[in-house]
Amino acid sequence: MRSFLLRRLGQSATTLVGVSLLVFVILRVIPGDPAKMLLPEGAPQSAIDALNRELGLREPMWVQYGIFLRSVTRGDFGQSFQYRAPALRVVVERVPATIQLALAAMLLTVVFGVSIGVLAAVRRGTGYDYAGTVLAVLGQSLPNFWLGIMLILLFGVTLRWLPTSGFQGWRYLVLPSVTLAAFPTALVARLTRSSLLEILGQEYIRTGRAKGLGERSVILRHALRNAAIPLLTVIGLQIGTLLGGAVITESIFAWPGMGKLVVDAIFFRDFPVVQTVLILSATIFVVINLVIDLLYTVLDPRIRYG
Amino acid sequence: MPKPSFDRRQFLVGGGAALGAAMVGPGVARAQGRRGEIIAGLSERMLTLDPANHYSISATSVLRHVYDPLLDVTNDDKFVPALAETWRPVNNTTWRFTLRKGVSFHDGSPFTADSVVFTLKRVRDNGKLIKSFVYQDIEDVQKDGDYAVTVTTKRPFGSLPAHLTMLGMLPPSVAGGEEAFFQKPVGTGPFRFVSWIHGDRVELAANPKYWKPGIPKVEKVTVRFIPELSTRAAALRAGEIHVIDRVWPDMVQTLKGTPGVKVLDTPALEAQRWHFQLARETVKDPRVRKAISLAIDRNVIIKDLLLGYARPVVNPVPPGLIGHSNLGQKPYDPEKARQLLKQAGQSNLAIDFVLMKDLYPKQLEIAQAVAAMLGEVGIKVNIRNLEIATAREQRTAGNYDLFFSGWAHMPHDPDWYFGQWFTKAGAEKMTRFADPKVEQLIAEGRVPDAKVRQQKYEEIERILWEDEPEIWPYYSVAIYAISDKLRNFEARRDYYVLLHEVSIA
Repeated sequence: MRSFLLRRLGQSATTLVGVSLLVFVILRVIPGDPAKMLLPEGAPQSAIDALNRELGLREPMWVQYGIFLRSVTRGDFGQSFQYRAPALRVVVERVPATIQLALAAMLLTVVFGVSIGVLAAVRRGTGYDYAGTVLAVLGQSLPNFWLGIMLILLFGVTLRWLPTSGFQGWRYLVLPSVTLAAFPTALVARLTRSSLLEILGQEYIRTGRAKGLGERSVILRHALRNAAIPLLTVIGLQIGTLLGGAVITESIFAWPGMGKLVVDAIFFRDFPVVQTVLILSATIFVVINLVIDLLYTVLDPRIRYG
Repeated sequence: MPKPSFDRRQFLVGGGAALGAAMVGPGVARAQGRRGEIIAGLSERMLTLDPANHYSISATSVLRHVYDPLLDVTNDDKFVPALAETWRPVNNTTWRFTLRKGVSFHDGSPFTADSVVFTLKRVRDNGKLIKSFVYQDIEDVQKDGDYAVTVTTKRPFGSLPAHLTMLGMLPPSVAGGEEAFFQKPVGTGPFRFVSWIHGDRVELAANPKYWKPGIPKVEKVTVRFIPELSTRAAALRAGEIHVIDRVWPDMVQTLKGTPGVKVLDTPALEAQRWHFQLARETVKDPRVRKAISLAIDRNVIIKDLLLGYARPVVNPVPPGLIGHSNLGQKPYDPEKARQLLKQAGQSNLAIDFVLMKDLYPKQLEIAQAVAAMLGEVGIKVNIRNLEIATAREQRTAGNYDLFFSGWAHMPHDPDWYFGQWFTKAGAEKMTRFADPKVEQLIAEGRVPDAKVRQQKYEEIERILWEDEPEIWPYYSVAIYAISDKLRNFEARRDYYVLLHEVSIA
């Protein structure tokens, strides 16, 4: 177990260095000039050149990367070009909003996705199953921006039950998290249904029923637990995606999370912010993957890492 | 135990009075009738609290409440005193400003000539500041006592007062502690800065000691940043906010149909201008440019695509600005366009029309309509809708024939536009425009004398109107929507949302 952990940590570090190099190089080879984006359209070329020099972008790329790596090890991700503040601070300010939205959406996904999936599998071929399928198809096919705007118009403008947008408390969280959860909920519901159906056909389920276990116990303790492994993988990946920011949902609901921040930073070629966000999300991904791998051993005692 | 001895009516009256007192705060405010809160929803997110470090319209709007500039400009383009009481040119390269007395910053320190000297030297000398390049012509800033300042410039700088409407004055104490200062800045403006949640909102509270009597009218202003127009409009319709900017024409009907919502529009200080790449063989010939201009039916764009929310162009510079004159609308004449193309020997012309993605309302539809119109006279248009940074790189590299763009005259003065786009130094990495005669007129038009400027600019405009280095399809219209509870809100031609003289019912 310990050697597994060490090996995985080593791999993770290599992955992160690779990500940083890739992000660094890609940002600098795509067309677009940070100073030109910062200055108004009517700025002369001399001003653009001068600002690029001030931002340190006239150094050779390997020199820039060296400076960057050295500062990162000290926890300094550089100054955001747009905000003129430490990039790490700019990004970290967005973390609470991002985490709130991701967790709320994840909670909805797990609760509703699994319930709908279980119900559809257990009552296979009935109205519940068809309703679940319809919901799942809708959830996966309705585009986020459309769903978000419809929810705003219905619950914010017409019924006035919930605020249309903003970031001030749990009431503000409802519509964005429902919008964001629609797709993963549908995914989890379908996955739960199919894996549960497969497992319900297994012999040990028949054995369970034969020895007189209640249906509830068969489904929840035996079948669902075995269906949990693929689910966990999908949910883990979804958490990573959600924590990286949900661009469209954040834009629609004016939610101050990381997704909109990074997209704006890419548009305006704010290299330090893009680098910080991507390295942070890569770190989150790597950590979550590691945790999920370890969770497998808890869920399924047959899985052992050596 | 006896019951409390007031009835429901008394309770409500008492509670209302207590609530009212809590809302209006100190007695001074009540005396001036200051009450309530206005919440605005702006389209563009603010990135800085430093008035010298942006040319963003939303930051200009927000920061105008916190800082005062030396001059203000009214919606009908008149320059009026703010922190400067008077300003006059001493000669072509010297401006003298006399300052308002008895003004203090929100921290109590007095506003004096030192603030002006500091603010101007800072923006000139710190090359990292976005506005720095505009102030490079300043030679020196000298104070003359505590309430007068003389600015000398390296060359005539007639538009200096106009630029100064956009530069908030800072206390000299900023020096040395800029980062800390801009965490919680103080200005002399009608509102004090309270808080800023990046990407979400800025909160401001009334400055009870503001130098302009009776201003501001409300206790609190909150500016929320809501980039999506549908969401901005929904928040207004739901009664959560009181004013939104940047409404698109196709949203107007929905908003007009909502009870309690009013739509206001005004011709903006923005001319759409699609510039040609003048070094390219395709459009180098003025006959070809003229043919393209003749083949575009501007009225169709204005009426059908922008639903009337645009105005026909009669001069490269919009009405109201110095230099504007009526040169008449450009005609639509496809037959003549065909003849000109024939004369120019261009039978199979194909041009690249580059757009900066999602920047202007309806731009893609407009470009497609233009492509169809030019198709009628035998010009093939290749629309390239590129991400903004890429489009601007392509322009620098010269890889376009026609570039979709607009110019908002934010300082209410056309000198910047002319100096950037029609001088060799400004245009070399842009349109490659070069005309020694125009260049000379622009230099001559930089003097402070308004009559000279008007005359030089009219001459420049006549040359440009004839030569057509750009297509000027329409002047934009600024559309706002507000709650009918707002009083005295002015739909600004420069797209600013200014709330210090606005009250709420």
